[in-house]
Amino acid sequence: MVKKLILSLGALSLLFPAMAFADDPSAGTLNMGLNSIWVLVAAVLVILMQGGFILLESGSTRMKNAGHIAGKTIFTLGLCTLVYWAVGYAFAFGTDNAENSISSVVGWGGAFFSPSVAAADGESLPSTVFFIFQLAFAAVSLSIAWGGFAERAKLSAYLVFTVLFTALIYPVISHWIWSSTGWLFTKGAQDYAGSTVVHLTGAIAAFAATVLLKPRIGRFNKDGSANEILGHNQVFGALSVLILWVGWFGFNAGSALSVGDGFFGYVAFNTQLGAAGGAVAALLISWLVNGKADITTTLNGALAGLVAITATCAFVDPWAAVVIGLVAGVLVFFSAKFFEKIKVDDPIFALSVHGAAGVWGTVANGIFATDVLAKKLNVGEGGLIDTGNWHQLWIQVESVLVCGGYTLVASFILLGIMKVVMGLRVTEEQEIIGLDLSEHGTFGYPEQMKKAQQNM
Amino acid sequence: MSDPVRAELLARIGNTGDVAALRGLRDQIQAHMGPLLFERPIEQFYTDLNEVHDALIRRAVALSEEKLARMGEGSPPVPYAYLLFGSGGREEQTLTSDQDSGLVYADPEDPSQLEEVARYFGLFAQTVVMTLQQLGYPPCEGEVVSSNPLWCQSLSQWTGKLDLWFKEPDWERVRYLLIVADCRIVAGQPFVWLALKEHFFMLMLSTDRIAESMLNNTMRHKVLLGVFGQLFKEHYGEDAGSLDLKYGAYIPMVNAIRLLAIQAGIRATATMTRIEDLTRHGVLDEAEGAAYAEVFRLFMRLRLLTTSKLEDGFYTSGGKLSNARLTKELIEELKAGLRIVRKLQKKVRKRATGRI
Repeated sequence: MVKKLILSLGALSLLFPAMAFADDPSAGTLNMGLNSIWVLVAAVLVILMQGGFILLESGSTRMKNAGHIAGKTIFTLGLCTLVYWAVGYAFAFGTDNAENSISSVVGWGGAFFSPSVAAADGESLPSTVFFIFQLAFAAVSLSIAWGGFAERAKLSAYLVFTVLFTALIYPVISHWIWSSTGWLFTKGAQDYAGSTVVHLTGAIAAFAATVLLKPRIGRFNKDGSANEILGHNQVFGALSVLILWVGWFGFNAGSALSVGDGFFGYVAFNTQLGAAGGAVAALLISWLVNGKADITTTLNGALAGLVAITATCAFVDPWAAVVIGLVAGVLVFFSAKFFEKIKVDDPIFALSVHGAAGVWGTVANGIFATDVLAKKLNVGEGGLIDTGNWHQLWIQVESVLVCGGYTLVASFILLGIMKVVMGLRVTEEQEIIGLDLSEHGTFGYPEQMKKAQQNM
Repeated sequence: MSDPVRAELLARIGNTGDVAALRGLRDQIQAHMGPLLFERPIEQFYTDLNEVHDALIRRAVALSEEKLARMGEGSPPVPYAYLLFGSGGREEQTLTSDQDSGLVYADPEDPSQLEEVARYFGLFAQTVVMTLQQLGYPPCEGEVVSSNPLWCQSLSQWTGKLDLWFKEPDWERVRYLLIVADCRIVAGQPFVWLALKEHFFMLMLSTDRIAESMLNNTMRHKVLLGVFGQLFKEHYGEDAGSLDLKYGAYIPMVNAIRLLAIQAGIRATATMTRIEDLTRHGVLDEAEGAAYAEVFRLFMRLRLLTTSKLEDGFYTSGGKLSNARLTKELIEELKAGLRIVRKLQKKVRKRATGRI
């Protein structure tokens, strides 16, 4: 018996010599492996958030546009990937120009990104995983921008703006705040997972779009009063929030970019608290102010809590996460009222959920960030409450103003040119018929819509 | 006090035999009375206005009888009472009220005639409702209207129905009971109506915990007042910024006072009279009674200012008080009034659940 075993092991070791000499992987390799697993899972979660956006945008709008909205999300995810791979990533994280002072404004290097197949020695994360993670963020920001286009933009406008946004708008902001050479990063701007980079940028592009497109037919009356254009499926809306909420763990906790000492768990923990605060505050405020607890507001509140905690999740104490979420929930309610009052048609509340809450989340770091956590992350310093110093708050305000300003100007110029050259909006007839039919030739809900057409 | 123009037009209603001419009279009276709203005490205005409505409805009933006779249907086979529910029943019709009506007829001596009698009154009620539509009264959206067979029955059918509703008071039946509580005869033989009414109050007294069943329905409409003392306005549509005065102020108060009144066995249907009677019965003390009357006067006045329009020939109202009417003083007055209604609702809740 023993003989047989020794013999067969000997034969095997001849066949597979490595077995005999196999070394345990080094601690560094193990660490890299663990990081890779977590961040890739996180990237997948963030990509899955597109499913949330499909449900959110289609559920908040009318049946006649549902197929279009769902389909265009998949299409633009694809196109965004190609553009980000070609140039977006190079502008955001390229380091070829690191020596040049222009690298504080925009990066270069790694166009048509061709990464090495494995992590190099000493790398804590393969660049492939980092790329996918960053790409997923770009795609989220883009999908937020679509909120301003909803129910009336031409398909060709989606095509062109995907290219422009992914190449010229998003990478610039992400470079400023997240690249080690970015000028806001070196100043110590705190935006852990992108309240500004991802959410505010998307929301401001949405704002430019919705202003240039003008409100949907029937949204406002001649006397200035608003009509409610109800979404066709509130359950889609709620499911979308749940999917986004879950995806957000990838978004925020993944932004740790490592497993390390388990800090990403703390980030996830704060994320959950922020979302909870937003949902609760929003329902209560709508109930108190309007006398009816509004479902849409509640859903927006949960998302606003998540958006606000995105910048802050790694910088603040748990109690502050709750406060940040609660304030975001209240803010989103009044913000939605405000945009309606100034007659900006915001079909899926992108401006309030991602814009107002994005600003709040970024600024909140200047108030609530603790010095201990800022030092731990080596980004900026503690906020007003912890340090009594206005310095960080000012940096946060500055980054909101500068990033918002750049996005606003760039979006207006690019979309303005598009409007003149190709037109952004479908014809009145197409809008009334619905984009499913006008842009794709078939309904998302064939049975119901054919019936509705016959009744028209 | 006396208004010679109105008196003259009123007199002419009684002599007009033609529906189109009657409609012309209504239009004239409405045009004449509209501006008077600001000139006379609100109760006087309502009394005058409801006198006109009653006269028009009575005339429509009489003309319908004649029409049926001309059609060879003869005259009514048994005595009947044409009933008004809703604001008509409470003598609180505005310039734009719709038709909430019913019909009760005496039981024929020979039960075999019931079918024939029912057929007559079915036809008759339809004729009255049609005539009133021509006069600009839209039919009730909830189909509480005499041409609906449920609301056009013999006395014993009615009482049998009430027995059932009181015995098994589900949501819908309680709603009907509260509608019947406001009923008033406008044309026909009072004894038929009185029999129905007394049956109602007999059941009211003898049915345990019926007030509790009525409470939920009574409280269904919330007052338009938020926790911060703010008014709830309409957010969307052409009425954006307006107040739903009907369902956010007037109806909650009517409902509350009604429940107190029928619990106390008060037969009056008009809310103002009910408040007076409740004070007399000691259910309300003097100060409460005076405060409630004052608030109700305000609501009555504002009701007449709500958005109204002529639609497909019908006088209709959305019951909404437009933003333009809402001056600062008025808003304060309204808020104070709504706070009082909320107190009233608390009182009603206590009484109905027997915690007093």
